[in-house]
Amino acid sequence: MKRDLRIIWEEFRKNLKILLCYPVVWGFWAIFPILWVLPLIFQGKALVGGLNSPSFEKLTGSGNYLAFVLIGSIVSTYAMSSLWGMGQSLREESYWGTLELILTAPIRPFPILIGKAILESCFATTGAVIQACIFTFFLGVELSFGKILPVLFIMVLLLLGLYGAGLALAAVTLLIKESRGLVNTLNWIFYLFSPIRYPVEVNPITRVVSLAIPLTYALFAIRSMILLNKSIIQLWGSVVSLILFDVALMAGSYYVFLKVEQKVRKTGTIGMY
Amino acid sequence: MDMVMHYLGAMWAENIKEWKIELSYRFDFARSLVEPFVYVLPYLLFGIAVVGGRNSQSLFNLVGTGDVITFVVIGYLFMGFLNTALWGMGFALRKEQFFGTLESVFVAPVPRWVYVGGMALHSTMHQGLIIMVQMIMLQLIFHLLIDASGLLPAIGVVALMLVALYGIGMMVASLALIFKAGWIIAEALHSVISVVTPIAYPLAVLPIFLRKASHFFPTTYGILTIRHFLIGEDMGFSVGTSMLRLSLLCVGWAIFGLFIFSVVDRKTRRDGTLGHY
Amino acid sequence: MAVAIEVRNLTKKFKKGKRFRKGEVIAVDSVSFQIQEGELFGLLGPNGAGKTTLVRCLANLLIANEGEIEIFGKSVSKDPLFIRHQLGLTTGGERTLYWKLSGRDNLSFFAALYGLYGKEKEKRIDYLMDLLGLKDVENERVERYSSGMRQKISLARALLHDPKILLLDEPTLGLDPQFSRFIRGFIKDELNHKGGKTILLTTHYMDEADELCVRIGFINRGKIVEVNTPSGFKREIPHKEVLEVRYLGTINPTSVERMSGIEKTSISSKDGVSHLKVITPRGEDILADLIELLRKEVKILSIDLKEPTLEDVFIYITGRGLGEQYEERSEDNMGGVQEEP
Repeated sequence: MKRDLRIIWEEFRKNLKILLCYPVVWGFWAIFPILWVLPLIFQGKALVGGLNSPSFEKLTGSGNYLAFVLIGSIVSTYAMSSLWGMGQSLREESYWGTLELILTAPIRPFPILIGKAILESCFATTGAVIQACIFTFFLGVELSFGKILPVLFIMVLLLLGLYGAGLALAAVTLLIKESRGLVNTLNWIFYLFSPIRYPVEVNPITRVVSLAIPLTYALFAIRSMILLNKSIIQLWGSVVSLILFDVALMAGSYYVFLKVEQKVRKTGTIGMY
Repeated sequence: MDMVMHYLGAMWAENIKEWKIELSYRFDFARSLVEPFVYVLPYLLFGIAVVGGRNSQSLFNLVGTGDVITFVVIGYLFMGFLNTALWGMGFALRKEQFFGTLESVFVAPVPRWVYVGGMALHSTMHQGLIIMVQMIMLQLIFHLLIDASGLLPAIGVVALMLVALYGIGMMVASLALIFKAGWIIAEALHSVISVVTPIAYPLAVLPIFLRKASHFFPTTYGILTIRHFLIGEDMGFSVGTSMLRLSLLCVGWAIFGLFIFSVVDRKTRRDGTLGHY
Repeated sequence: MAVAIEVRNLTKKFKKGKRFRKGEVIAVDSVSFQIQEGELFGLLGPNGAGKTTLVRCLANLLIANEGEIEIFGKSVSKDPLFIRHQLGLTTGGERTLYWKLSGRDNLSFFAALYGLYGKEKEKRIDYLMDLLGLKDVENERVERYSSGMRQKISLARALLHDPKILLLDEPTLGLDPQFSRFIRGFIKDELNHKGGKTILLTTHYMDEADELCVRIGFINRGKIVEVNTPSGFKREIPHKEVLEVRYLGTINPTSVERMSGIEKTSISSKDGVSHLKVITPRGEDILADLIELLRKEVKILSIDLKEPTLEDVFIYITGRGLGEQYEERSEDNMGGVQEEP
């Protein structure tokens, strides 16, 4: 256990040093996601003449589409970074030629992956906090401190499941060297079928498909807490769904990763970029 | 004449080479045709959710047309050419650096602009194909309401807009050679241009400082004029004014892009970083 | 015979270090030489000596700080398009081709850049593929080629437009003996003797330079130390012998250098075995004392007494072996520092 903790720390430290060579990247991910939601806000203003939409209220319970979109932006930035970070990080190890050396070391691979995941979370948290501050101070989104804890609880539940999925993606990276296409395809599915940018209730197909994506439950719960003042008890359905997703994704991905790692060791393609 | 044939041949060869490499990644290629469609859908669905249907009185009051779907679709379709310029052209040289072939290409007896022209040709063909595929898909799903007589003039506007976008693309291509995280420049530029360009909303809803900034980008006049021809959008100024401004932007951006390109070319050869990925 | 390449006082400097600790490295330092038309000229020096930098300057891929380069009387900086028509370039390394394209497709693309089309282009590619023994694999992707085959395609690319001058930068680097032998034979017989091409070859393999080149320029720390024929170089250390000792362990070089009768020493190691080379007027005279000295510190594996080779001449002139690398000037890393935006 002590050894695993040490490995997690060393992996975190190594990746942090590399990341600090690119300070501009930190700044970029903290600020530019905000630009990506501005078109939606301007679009809303053009379509309804203000920042409140009766039609939106019918679908989501709140007519405040601005806050809807901004919350989606913060949560999705966080979630995507955690989901893709591990796979991307492994791919970089493969590119540098260090992946084989890591996997032939007398350690289990999971502490390495956890170290990577923790760094991705810290990185994403920095970005999310900066975005939240900008939204609160410049765009007038209200967030009371009483709501922060339950929101964080939902985020943790979401991230556990996403790390599980991230582990499976990392395995795919080992197997299919050109995994970028698959990663981007999954990206679409998330953006199209989860309520990041729009309420999925607007279309029957998106409403049904979104039920298979954990991000849907997290966004629903967080928006309900912030915009509709619901308590976490009232959102027990979303909480239970997230827990079930966590268990399924973490168990399934663990199994997939072990199997794939064995396979690439047999075929000898671990180090191939 | 021989020289012209040589340069045209080199451009065409660059185009063919890029197609061959792209088509060797079949899944990625197929995905690239469908992806833009997937990215535009959330904006359409958002618009429908906010309005409660397809038509918006507020939009009609602003630009003389209330069809949200067609308004947004046209904006996003033709904005795809910006992606072409920033990512297609913008990272072509960086890709060559990654492959290790940039020096071999630059040592050939063709001027640099010929090579960049080849990249632009490929990017345009690729984007043209994407637009065709998307038009068909969106027409089938959403039944877009377009004035067919506006198609030809719209294509003319696209051609003009492309000249300016190629200038921007050349600028990004050269900056990507010298900055390790060059993708940030392309992404930042893309984000800013996407905000100030009236893709899914009229210029009137932008704050004044952003409205002023929008006048520096060819996509502003490009999209407005294309929508004017296809769905009768009221631009707030005449077609002649729009085309004149777009032409000036073409000249300005083309010259600026070429200038930055030649400065960076000399710099990389002075610093010895041409072949470095 | 006409002068094909003339270099006059060429200097190229690179920035070193970041931000507050900037400095300069002089990669090529006031270099001057000429290569006659039809000559096979070698540039021999260790890694980091400035060979690749010099070649890049000749190919107009690098802009020099000072000096002039002329190819057939035309300036490289003023007439770049003319120069590029005259030159064919190969660089070492695995990544200089499009791996997702076939060998033929790679050549087809570059042929277009050199103004070759249609039947003329296809004929030329066929000829080169035949000549280099790549006909059977021409339609396979380069990613499936061996290193030797990739180097052949690189050579074919340089020959597409039948240039008068070839710049071959370490053409056998990383190749196995079989491919190396083929490439060397091809360069000497096909390209130089039959084809009459002017060739500038850079290498740190002494025997390659000895075998192929009519004249060799020794380059060390950015300077051309001397230009001579291979036999001319060997005559420079007349009446000298070379003692080569293979051993396991480490020795103090100064203790060897202090021995009388020893003029120059060089120590290198390969695969865990160290090599000591000693240049001396008479090997027999110092042999016993040398063995006595070494036995105290290391395990001796073998001792050879022989005539000097080019590498020995290089050591004699520069004090360094060809296998050594300059720590502060790896030519792979040369090219300045890319700064953050």
